[in-house]
Amino acid sequence: MKTPPPPARRIIRRAAPLIAVGIAVALAVTGCSPSAKSGSAASATADSSKPVSGGTLTFSLDNDPINLNPRIPGSGNDTLYVERQLVDSLVEQDPATGKIIPWLAESWTVNADATAYTFTLRKGVTFSDGTPLTAAVVKQNFDDIAQNATQATNAITQLAGYTGTSVKDDQTFTVSFSKPDGAFLNAASSVALGILAPSTLALPYPQRADGSKVVGSGPFVLERYTPNTSVVLKRRSGYAWAPKDYGNRAAAYVDKVQFTIVPEAGVRTGSLTSGQVDVIGGVLPQDIQSLKSAKLPLVIRSNPGITFGLTPFIGSGPLADQDVRRALLTAVDRKQIQRSALTPEFKVATNVLAANTPGWADQGKQLGYDPAASKKLLDKAGWKVGAGGIREKDGQKLQLTLGWISNFNPNQSIVQIIQQELKAVGVGVTLWSGTVPQLLAQEASGKLDLLYGNLSRADGDVLRTQFSSATTATTNKFDDAELDQLLTAQLGTADQSKRNKIAQQAQERILQLGYDVPIVELTTVLGTQRNVHGVVLGADSRLGLLVDAYVGKK
Amino acid sequence: MSESTVVNAALGSAPAHGRPESAEDAAEHTGGRIASVLSYLRARPGLVAAVIWIVLLVLAALAPTLFTGTDPLESVALPRTAPSAAHVFGTDDIGRDLFARVVHGTRLSLGAAALAIAIGVVVGTVLGLLAGYLGGWVDAAVMRMVDVLLSIPAILLALALVVALGFGTVNVAIAVGLTSIAGNARILRSEVLRVRNSTYVEAARAGGARPVRVLVRHVLPNSITPLLALIALDFSSAILAISSLSFLGYGAPPPTPEWGALVSGGRDFLASAWWMTTLPGLVIALTVLAGNRLSRAFTGEGTLR
Repeated sequence: MKTPPPPARRIIRRAAPLIAVGIAVALAVTGCSPSAKSGSAASATADSSKPVSGGTLTFSLDNDPINLNPRIPGSGNDTLYVERQLVDSLVEQDPATGKIIPWLAESWTVNADATAYTFTLRKGVTFSDGTPLTAAVVKQNFDDIAQNATQATNAITQLAGYTGTSVKDDQTFTVSFSKPDGAFLNAASSVALGILAPSTLALPYPQRADGSKVVGSGPFVLERYTPNTSVVLKRRSGYAWAPKDYGNRAAAYVDKVQFTIVPEAGVRTGSLTSGQVDVIGGVLPQDIQSLKSAKLPLVIRSNPGITFGLTPFIGSGPLADQDVRRALLTAVDRKQIQRSALTPEFKVATNVLAANTPGWADQGKQLGYDPAASKKLLDKAGWKVGAGGIREKDGQKLQLTLGWISNFNPNQSIVQIIQQELKAVGVGVTLWSGTVPQLLAQEASGKLDLLYGNLSRADGDVLRTQFSSATTATTNKFDDAELDQLLTAQLGTADQSKRNKIAQQAQERILQLGYDVPIVELTTVLGTQRNVHGVVLGADSRLGLLVDAYVGKK
Repeated sequence: MSESTVVNAALGSAPAHGRPESAEDAAEHTGGRIASVLSYLRARPGLVAAVIWIVLLVLAALAPTLFTGTDPLESVALPRTAPSAAHVFGTDDIGRDLFARVVHGTRLSLGAAALAIAIGVVVGTVLGLLAGYLGGWVDAAVMRMVDVLLSIPAILLALALVVALGFGTVNVAIAVGLTSIAGNARILRSEVLRVRNSTYVEAARAGGARPVRVLVRHVLPNSITPLLALIALDFSSAILAISSLSFLGYGAPPPTPEWGALVSGGRDFLASAWWMTTLPGLVIALTVLAGNRLSRAFTGEGTLR
C-alpha cells in the first residue's frame, strides 16, 4: 500500500487545483494553447532508434520521496523510483518472465527446506565511493537490518527469521534462516534489501535519511535532494553490472536524471503535453485518452500482488457470517467499474492476486456479476429486505463501514460505485476516509467492516502477509487452519512451480471463505515524450533502472 | 431630492418630522417610499441580482425538489457527460447529475454557514458583553483569550479544531463558528464600553434596575447594531471557509454532495470534464459575491457620501 503524504502536505496538494483552475482559465482566456505547439512539432519528429548519450531526463513524480534510506518506507512507490537508481540488489526479477536472474550475485544455491541460501558474488563490483563489494559487506548489510529491526521497517519484513550470514571467502556467503523462507530470492531483488557501502552502514539511521550519505553500487549517484521540490541524480561513469533484462548493461546514457515533485495529476499531464518534462508518473485513467490522441507513448504495467479489493473484518458484526461475505463477491459489477472509472488498460481482478504475480490462476468465473446469487445468499443468511431497501435481521440493519484512502486517484469514484452496487442488493455502505495514521486508528478501534486497498509485491508470499491468522490476529481476525497451513507451506520450498501451485490453492480457499473481494488490478501508467526511449517498469511495476533511457532528437 | 435622503427613506430611517402625520401625508409618504425604493434598486442592479440569488438559494435549501426531480445519489447517465439540456451541469465521474448534486448540496452548505454564524454571534456577544460591562479581571481574561485566538490565522484554527472534533458537516460548521468568536467579542466589547457610561444606563442603574436587566434591556440593544451589520459579511466568509474545509475532505463523506467536496471531486477531471470543478465552483463564487454585495448595502451604502 502506497503511503500517502502526511496531512499538512495533502492540504497543499489538494489546494493546488484551485491554482491550476486559475491558470487554466487564464490560458483559455488569452487563447494560449500549449498543446498546439507540441502538436506541430510532432509531425517534424524524425526519431532515431539509436541511443543518444548525454542530456538530462526530467521526470515528474506524484509524491516527495521523504526519505532516501532504502530500509525505510518513505512515501511508497515514488521513493522506490529514486532509490532503485542508487542501489543494486543481489538478484533481479525479470519482468518478462517473473524469474529470478543474476545481478550482484552471479549464482546461488538453496537447501531443500529453504533455510540456507548460498550466493556467489560477481567480481569487480565497486560502490560509488570506490570500496569493493565483498561477501563481508553483504553480511554487514543484513546484520545491520537485523540489529536495527525497529527502524528498518521496510527491510525487516523481507528478512523475517534471519539468523545470520556466514562468509566463506570474498565472493561466497550463506544466508541462514530459523524457519523456511521460500520467498527470500524475491525479497533479495527488492530495493529494501539493496546493498549499501560500509561507509553508510557505519552511520546511525537518522543520518542516512536525506540520502546524501547513502552510498550504493547503482548506475546513478545522488547529486541533490531538495525535499518537496526535486531529486537530481548524476550518472556513474564506471557502472558495468546491470542485470541482463536491460539492453545496456554499462553506464547509463543520460548524464543526469531530474525528478521533480508535482503532486497534482492534472498538472503533470499538462506538463507532459506542453513538452515541459520528459516523463510523468501516476497518469490518471481519464487522461490516458488525451495522451494517446496526442501520440505520447505510455508505459503501462499491472502491479503484481494483491489486487484492489474489499477485505472484511470478521471478528464481529454481519461479516462474521461467511455467506454474507461471499454474497459480496458477485454483487460488484467489475466491468462497470472499469467502464466508468477506469479504461481498458486497467484490468478487472480475476483472482486474489493480480494476473502477473507468480502463483496467479484465473478465477474470473467466480468473480462475475450476479446480483441474484448475492441476494439469494443474503436471504439464506437471514437478512431480509427492510425499509429503504436495506436488509435487516433481528432489528439490526445491514449497514457496513468501508474504509479507503486515496493512494490511487480513481479510488474515490470506485468506492462510490461499489456503494451504489451493494445498495442494489440491500447492503448499505458508509464510506470513511482519512490519512494512513487515521485509517490505522479507525481499524484498531474496530469501527471498520471493510477495507478497500491493495498490497503490491511480485511474489505469492504476499498472501501470507494479508490473510494468515498470525498477521491478522488484531485486525481482520482471519482464522482458518487449512489456509494457514497452505500459507506456511508455500514458504517451505524454493521450488517456484511448487510454490505457485500452493499459492493457487490458497487463493481458492480465500475466495471460498470470502476473506477477500477482489475488484480491479492496480496499474502503473507512465507517460513519456515521443523522443524518450528505454524507460521501463520492473517486475514489481515500479520504475526500473534508467540505464537504457535516453532522450533522442525532437 | 438628494441621494442621501433617498437612501434614508429606503432604509426606513427617515428623519422624524417633529409633528404627527395626517392620513393623507402617510399615504403620500407610502407612495413616495415605494417609488424611492424602486429608484434605489434601479440604480443598483448588482444588489437586485444578489438578493434574487440568495432567495433562490434559500428556496433550494428548503425545497430542492422545486428545482430538480433527479436523485443526487444515483447514476442516471454516462459518466462525465458534458452539460446539455437534460443535464444542465453535466454528469460527474460516475454518472450522477451534477445540477441535482449542487441543488441538494445547498441545504448542507447554507445550513452549515447559518450554524457557524449563530455560534460566532451568540458566543461572541456573551463574551463581549461580559468583558465590556464587568471590566476588571473578567475583561482582562476574556480579552487575552481573544488576543490569542486572533493571533492564529482563522483557516488554520478551523483546521485544527475540525481535526480535534472529528470530520463531518456539523463539526466543520462548529469549527468555523468558533473561529469567528474572537472578532465578534472584540467588536461588541468596544461598543459596550461606549454605551455603559451613557446617561440612560446610569439612570437605569440609579433607578434600581438589576445588572442583568441593565445589560439585556439597555446595553445590548444599543451596542449590537455594528455586529448585526457584520453578519452578512460573515455569511460570505463562512460559506468560503466551510467549502474550503469540505474541499480538503473534512466534511461529510461521499456521496454527500457538499459544495466544496463537489469542487474537490472534479479536480482530477479538469482536463477531461471541466464542468465538474468549474460549475460548483461558480456557484460558490456567486454566493460569496452575493453575500458581500448584501453586506455593503447593510453597512449604510450611500449614506456615507
